[in-house]
Amino acid sequence: MTQRNLEFLPKFEKPRQAWVENLDTVEEKKLGLIDLHPNVFGVMPRLDIIYENMLWQQKYRRVEYHSLRTRAEMPGGGRKPWPQKGQGRARHGSIRSPLFKGGGVAHGPRNPTTYFYMLPFYKRLLGLTTTLSVKLAQVVDLLEIPTEGPKYLEDLVSERCWGVSVLFVDSVDIMPRNITAATCEIGHMNMMPVYGLNVYSMLKHEALVLTVSAVEEIERKIIYNLNRTDAKKKEQRFLVNQV
Amino acid sequence: MSWCLRQVSQCVQKLWAPQSQQVRYRYHKDKLEKGKLIRRFGYEESLLQRGLLPHVDGKKLPIPIYEPKNSWTESKALFGQNDYIDILGNENLHPTRTHYQIASWLRGVKGNELQVLIRKKKVLGKGIFPYSNPIKWRNINKRVKYLYKFMNYKTNQFVVNKE
Amino acid sequence: MSGIGRTASEKALLMLRSLPRLCMQNVGPNPHAKKVRNSRHRGQHGGDKHGCGNKGSGQRQNWMRLGYETGNTPFYLRFPHEPYYKGHHLRRQYPPLSLMQLQKMIETDRLDTSKPIDLAALCNTGIWKFTPELLQYGVNLTAEGANEFKAKVNIEVQWATEPVIAAIERNGGVITTSFYDFDSLWIMRDPVKFFMRGEAIPRRMLPPEDAILFYTGAENRGYLADPEKVSWERLVLSQKYGYELPKIEDDPEYEMLCERKDPRQLFYGLEPGWVVNIKDKTILKPLDPEVKEFYKT
Repeated sequence: MTQRNLEFLPKFEKPRQAWVENLDTVEEKKLGLIDLHPNVFGVMPRLDIIYENMLWQQKYRRVEYHSLRTRAEMPGGGRKPWPQKGQGRARHGSIRSPLFKGGGVAHGPRNPTTYFYMLPFYKRLLGLTTTLSVKLAQVVDLLEIPTEGPKYLEDLVSERCWGVSVLFVDSVDIMPRNITAATCEIGHMNMMPVYGLNVYSMLKHEALVLTVSAVEEIERKIIYNLNRTDAKKKEQRFLVNQV
Repeated sequence: MSWCLRQVSQCVQKLWAPQSQQVRYRYHKDKLEKGKLIRRFGYEESLLQRGLLPHVDGKKLPIPIYEPKNSWTESKALFGQNDYIDILGNENLHPTRTHYQIASWLRGVKGNELQVLIRKKKVLGKGIFPYSNPIKWRNINKRVKYLYKFMNYKTNQFVVNKE
Repeated sequence: MSGIGRTASEKALLMLRSLPRLCMQNVGPNPHAKKVRNSRHRGQHGGDKHGCGNKGSGQRQNWMRLGYETGNTPFYLRFPHEPYYKGHHLRRQYPPLSLMQLQKMIETDRLDTSKPIDLAALCNTGIWKFTPELLQYGVNLTAEGANEFKAKVNIEVQWATEPVIAAIERNGGVITTSFYDFDSLWIMRDPVKFFMRGEAIPRRMLPPEDAILFYTGAENRGYLADPEKVSWERLVLSQKYGYELPKIEDDPEYEMLCERKDPRQLFYGLEPGWVVNIKDKTILKPLDPEVKEFYKT
């Protein structure tokens, strides 16, 4: 049993619990139970909030660079191609008119087109807690495995029925050598520090594996943000030059 | 002569009139058993009559060969990393500031073509851009001028060009 | 596992365990959450107006220019120039804070009365704020709730009237009105942001010409007024409003109540010229006599 002192515990909710497992053997060994904060790992599973977060992540970074030139931006085309009357041909004023082959485009895409918008701060926070609650991550003590080869990790994941793709999250930037080498060769097993954790990656990977220290870090940050006194500051409208 | 023939045939009909009866199926099942009514026997259709299929006798329409894409390349597997960095990491670092793939003046920018162009003009106009890319610079100015007129005189969305 | 005695979220999470695992394909918006805009109708209504109305500039999309009133003299030309508010954009503003609000802040532990209260402390509450770019030069303490005001405070405001001063002094508190120049206002609004820049704390500038009378007046408790005159005015005000002036000298918090800023000082305990290092939590003081001399005057 991993004893933890949970702050800001709600009055009528018990902490959620998860098994702490090991990674150093293929067979699962249960090392103890860990208490998880109900405001982080036990909130109402609102799929619409998760969807909004996922959509925001896809859209807010998107910039389209496709562009087509208008008649004004094309070279030439200032001269009248043939006289107005007397040729028996249609009247035209420029060879770069959108009617012409090789002319400009009237309502083409113009670059850069951005799809940016900012999801409110507390909606993003709710997205994180909701996804963490729904996923109910596997908690492990350390990310230490005995060998560097990918075979061991694949065996371990299939033995424990975690699925195919796995996301390992630790609180530090520099991960242990063996697991880094193993995940390097498997595309669908990835590692992330706590600050890189996000809703999209949690959804993309079938299983989420957190270390005990990562759980503590995530809880500390989220609980701080849920109960901070200067929350008004975070609710302000996004201004492009002031972030 | 014809009168005699007519008289004879009338007499024969009076003496012997064979009973002709139409063939009717008692049950629908019997009709189906007999098979489809054959029409235009010996004629072959050169076109397929049914569905949206192309000609099978001629060349096939070009279809690109399917190549499954790797959805676990590094950029796809780690898509969205650092989007919550202001919650889980450094509080003062806004996620738009981690968009290294986007030009710095375009990070967190939202607006219609004119608004984006005005911002571009404001940022790039101070540097070497007008001298290094004179044609592009002229085109930006032309486009801003045109769009400013269009937005403010032809639509009911008014855009202010803050210089 | 029965659902009795569980919270709603626990029940919902329990239900999810028997469903397929969450992935990108099975999340979506709530039903009917998105409005479908159908301006283009089908069938017999296909040739209708599509929400553009009937006739006029809306349908033809040839909108009138701004201010044009279809032949009337436009509003902006109709009246002669009447400059009632000439120069209003240059005048100083003081956004209000009532004594009632102040009392509420103190009771909800947003303000600490054991320390002097100034503009930075008020901004730190997160409830009251001001915008220097609109020429808001600090707080105007108003008399609303003066009868209910019970706290003993040492407060520094930018504008106060006679009943407000009386309400605070009746409870044994002290009030000062002081001026902050435009650059100092930004610093007072968010001190941490300023300290992160790593710059030396500047000197506070003196009030402008039209404000100097107010801030040197003892009846306004101005910060540039003569202290002896101020104590005299305290007595005068107590007799005018009919309360017994509590003796500050006998108060256990005498030192806190006597704490005032220098006219050139921005923060209590920090002098101009000092640099606050937030990261290492240290204060750097200038050693060069020339720099010292500069910040002293």
